[in-house]
Amino acid sequence: MNGAVIGHLILKDWRINRLLISLTLGAGIVALAIALYGRGTARLVGSVWFFVALCILGSMLPVSAIINERKKQTLAFIMSLPVSSVQYSIAKIVSIWAMFLVPWLTLLISALILVETGHIAPRGVIPTLVIVAVLPLIGFCLISSAALAGESEGWLIAASVACNSSYWLAWYLLASLPSLTENWTAPAAVWNPAAVTILLGEFGSIALILALTLFIQSRKRDFI
Amino acid sequence: MTDLAVELRGVSKKYRYFTLDNMHLELPRGQIMGLIGANGAGKSTTIRILMGLVHQDSGVARVLGRNMPSEQVAAKWDIGFASEDMRLYESMTLGWHMDFIRSIYPTWDGAYAQLLLKRFGLRAEQKIKGLSHGQRVKSALLLVLARKPKLLVLDEPTTGLDPVARHEILRELTNVMADEERSVLFSSHNTQDVEQISDQITFIDRGRIIDSMDKETYLDRWRRLRLEVPRGVELPALPGIIGVQREGRLAVATSNAFAPDLASAYESSGARVQRIENMTLEEIFVANVEHSREEVEA
Repeated sequence: MNGAVIGHLILKDWRINRLLISLTLGAGIVALAIALYGRGTARLVGSVWFFVALCILGSMLPVSAIINERKKQTLAFIMSLPVSSVQYSIAKIVSIWAMFLVPWLTLLISALILVETGHIAPRGVIPTLVIVAVLPLIGFCLISSAALAGESEGWLIAASVACNSSYWLAWYLLASLPSLTENWTAPAAVWNPAAVTILLGEFGSIALILALTLFIQSRKRDFI
Repeated sequence: MTDLAVELRGVSKKYRYFTLDNMHLELPRGQIMGLIGANGAGKSTTIRILMGLVHQDSGVARVLGRNMPSEQVAAKWDIGFASEDMRLYESMTLGWHMDFIRSIYPTWDGAYAQLLLKRFGLRAEQKIKGLSHGQRVKSALLLVLARKPKLLVLDEPTTGLDPVARHEILRELTNVMADEERSVLFSSHNTQDVEQISDQITFIDRGRIIDSMDKETYLDRWRRLRLEVPRGVELPALPGIIGVQREGRLAVATSNAFAPDLASAYESSGARVQRIENMTLEEIFVANVEHSREEVEA
């Protein structure tokens, strides 16, 4: 594996997208502060704002790091370097996942701290909270993979619309599962088989989408 | 180590509306080859196959002794590639690009990069979005040249440039060839540029290589014979004559294998040879393409 060149490509993406990351992180921190220190409606607004910031970053990152590279014709410059199409794809996946995981983990850890300290809800909601938090991660995975494998804005927009309009349905389905909801008021997190299965299913889907993306990339005969 | 910088053997690539057909091409190390073709002839597809960016359906593509696309990573350490449709990152400076390339290639020559900055009139601190087209082309070429590749592959490097910028770039390409181990393959539809710096010339049309040889041989072998043909005289079909255009008593015969006895043969048939003219590379290219198309259609 061409580790050093892949590393340089990852760093390059971070440098080029630093403005987008900074702006989203800034917006996310403000939203998180409101969610943490606000009361009543302000706390709800802050939480929704943070989630929206996460969804926007999930859609903007693939546009900025993948689609723009094709649209602005910088892909030929990168592919002139000693790197194969699969290595390029690995570099892209690692760089944009790392960029997305920073705010995502911030959200998850903050929310878990809030629950653990007994600020907003009983600890019994923790499994549901984690399951819900992984949903935008799956969405981001699908959107970025569509951009990478589909090579067009059309695929990215279709994936973004599909994901962003499906979150409410996923929340509704999760909220109607008695095996999850029955433990919401419990004083401690209960990782029953249903919760574990759903979480494993979520991470399984992410692994499957990534594997499929790399498989498609490795089978491409025309990369530019 | 193979003596060929570039080698294509029976390479084909089929698209819905275009086919690259059975390409055979050889570029010896240390030479400059110009790939001339009209727009859509297949120059860029050929170059993309050589860079491993497009996979051929059949045939063998080898660059610096490595099979493409399977060994593209190893090969690309020694290839400098720039194309007319390649862009740099607009929001970053040329200096940032230079640092980026230097971090990847241990062969990066900082002193040479500084020299090229001066020669091309570029400033490292300038953002790419503020550069003119000519400056962008020169920037891309600087990034390619300063890494000291063994093979330069340039797809239409002079397209859209003003005469001064074209001259600067062609002069730098000629300088590059001071190192006898380095080779250049560059495509263009501008025959003047190709004629100026190439050792080898390949004509490509509609996905086929129609001719490939060294520049001097082309210029030696191709001639135009202006003839006066008296009424009643029929011009004979002579080997080496690929086309005759006749208008009244005047005729122009084009030869791709000129020898003095062609003129004698016309004289013997009753025609009078008014003039034998050398042809420019552009005229040779156009005549070659027309002849090739006639052959295909016949």
